[in-house]
Amino acid sequence: MALITRIFQVAAETLSLPDRNVPFWGFSDVLFNKPQNPGPLIEATTGDLISIWLVRNFLQPVGEPLSILFPGQENVWARKIFSEPLVYEPVKPQYSSGVMMSLTNYLDENNSFDISIDYIFAANRPGIFLYESGTNPEKQIQMGLYGVIVVRPVGNSIFGHPNYKTAYGAGTGSSYDVEKILVLSEIDSGMHDNVEPGVYYDMLKFKPDFWVINGRSFPDSINDDNTSSQPYGSKIECRVGERVLLRIINAGFQNHTFHLGGFTGRVVAEDSFPLVAAEMDATYEKTGITLGSGQSVDLILTPETPGRFYLYDREYHHLVNNNVFPGGMMTVIDVRE
Amino acid sequence: MSTIDLWAKEGYLSTPDGNSIYFWGFAKSEAGPAQLPGPHIIARQGETITVNLHNTLPEPVSLSFTGQRGVLADGNPVGPQHQNDQLVSFVNHAEPGDSITYTFTPSHPGTFMYESGTYPHKQVPMGLYGGLVVRPIDYNPDIQEYKTVYGYGTDTEYDREYLLITGEIDPNLHQAVKEELPYHTGSYLPRYWTLNGRCAPDTMFPDNLDYLPHQPYGSMVMGQPGERILMRYIGAGVSNHPLHPHGNHARVVGRDGRLLRNGSGDISFKRFTVLVGAGQTYDLIYRWDGLGYSPENPIPTTLPDRRNMGIGDAGWTMWSGSPYLGRKGDIPVEVVSYNEFGEYYFMLHSHEELQITNWGEFPGGMMTWVAIYPSLSPDVGTLL
Repeated sequence: MALITRIFQVAAETLSLPDRNVPFWGFSDVLFNKPQNPGPLIEATTGDLISIWLVRNFLQPVGEPLSILFPGQENVWARKIFSEPLVYEPVKPQYSSGVMMSLTNYLDENNSFDISIDYIFAANRPGIFLYESGTNPEKQIQMGLYGVIVVRPVGNSIFGHPNYKTAYGAGTGSSYDVEKILVLSEIDSGMHDNVEPGVYYDMLKFKPDFWVINGRSFPDSINDDNTSSQPYGSKIECRVGERVLLRIINAGFQNHTFHLGGFTGRVVAEDSFPLVAAEMDATYEKTGITLGSGQSVDLILTPETPGRFYLYDREYHHLVNNNVFPGGMMTVIDVRE
Repeated sequence: MSTIDLWAKEGYLSTPDGNSIYFWGFAKSEAGPAQLPGPHIIARQGETITVNLHNTLPEPVSLSFTGQRGVLADGNPVGPQHQNDQLVSFVNHAEPGDSITYTFTPSHPGTFMYESGTYPHKQVPMGLYGGLVVRPIDYNPDIQEYKTVYGYGTDTEYDREYLLITGEIDPNLHQAVKEELPYHTGSYLPRYWTLNGRCAPDTMFPDNLDYLPHQPYGSMVMGQPGERILMRYIGAGVSNHPLHPHGNHARVVGRDGRLLRNGSGDISFKRFTVLVGAGQTYDLIYRWDGLGYSPENPIPTTLPDRRNMGIGDAGWTMWSGSPYLGRKGDIPVEVVSYNEFGEYYFMLHSHEELQITNWGEFPGGMMTWVAIYPSLSPDVGTLL
């Protein structure tokens, strides 16, 4: 068991989409100092304590109260420096004069004593989880304030351990050779253009025009990881016969039906609950899977032939950039001999 | 080894509100009409199947067989195709005027689909899709234990089977293709929702009607009390549809052409609504022995709700006028009954109710009936 501490800030930056740039809000690891989409990946082992410090950005405030919500985590506690609560208390929805302000404790830029808020919780079970804004979430999550926590079982990286290279431990059908996290979302560029300079945008007009995996639209999605504000590539590389663990999580507002490139995969966990229990094996095979907002699946593919195969949103009108195919929510798997 | 020829062609769809919509579809022969959905392909597990695609459309067209392994195009493994460094097709395609031959050997029985893998944002909504049924290797329709979806001993025996393929139509985008105008997915707004290419009430009519030459498949699900009725759902469009046999439950025995069973563990489940996701398939077995009915006791314990039998304010009903299966009774004089022999009807429809309209007018769209007849010919509910 370890204590994992990360220091986050929120700042505005620019997303590079295939035909245009779009302003966004992102979390940054202050040590690296560049906001990114999705937010920095947090990696932990079951039993670790995760502590996230959200520090006020004095130089470049986005002008809104800010918070982080941890769906799927229990017993999240928070404290603030230098206002209430000064000592850790369980997080709870926040109200002001009877009006809900936030789904969880938040950092208030109008309060000069609010320097930072830190959230702490134990990563009690393995899986893939979102973290996302809990304040004005209809706006802030779409602006880019979301990221992923991956919790691996004890022994995941210890060769010879029964849990070595498994997503959920021995006996859960989740052993893998290659692991890839795919975070699905969509972007309404007109909304971003308005919100960043502070113009009111009616979210009832939400109409996305870009569809992204790990913050990038095709063909950018198949580029390697880099140090930009969209650091995570989505290309999958493996050899014939290897077990590829795809960890797909929907951070967007729309449901997405993700098609597995013609392969048939086996779903081993839904919302990070493994589908194998002592009494029964409820894993199942699929060629594509519909994910509601906030939902996730872990599935295993085992390619049998070499080649390049496309994985994409089967809602084909999301495979465009500015109405032109190919683009959008699509990536590739390159299978070598 | 079976061989199938498909011609990618243009045609016009009819909708019940009088519209005529340009579309692209597959035809069974060079002279035959393009149809929506394309011709059903019935294959057999372990037997190689050959599909010759002939492209008469003005752009490349391909066939993608999701869930099939080792698909060859003209003898080579299929792969993505590019023009000017831009992706055009997920698999090898036929240029306009050309042909291409796909071969594969289905390894698993079940329900699958075929669809264009070229400019799919346009070609699939335009109608280039169809159903693919793979019979298990031991399939024998003459022996009850071998007339199954997934093979002997998988608890998937059935008496009658129906293929229901969902789709959506945005008439403006279809018109844009006809007029060779830009195809703007951003303005996508479907106005018709189809089952087997037809909108209700056309869904309730028989197969192969003269006046629907491009939409040969009806969607009526018919059976007798106690029979195992197999419904194969295929989501061919770009949207998800919650399909729902009104007031009834069905057991989901397979998804995406895979039996819901791990070893001896049965993971099939009952639902009254399943979300038919885009590009996904469901196999459901439905059995009407409802409400205390048996041949010895033909009296239902609960009178069917007349509202569940009427259709909107059109003044027509599927109700027989009698609560007894197989009897007809009096109905109000202003109401037209389409009931034939005192059969029961249950609506089967998309639970996203905007979709049971034709351009906003109820009744229409993605809706049909499950009809339970006191007796029914064994020829009803077979796939050719």
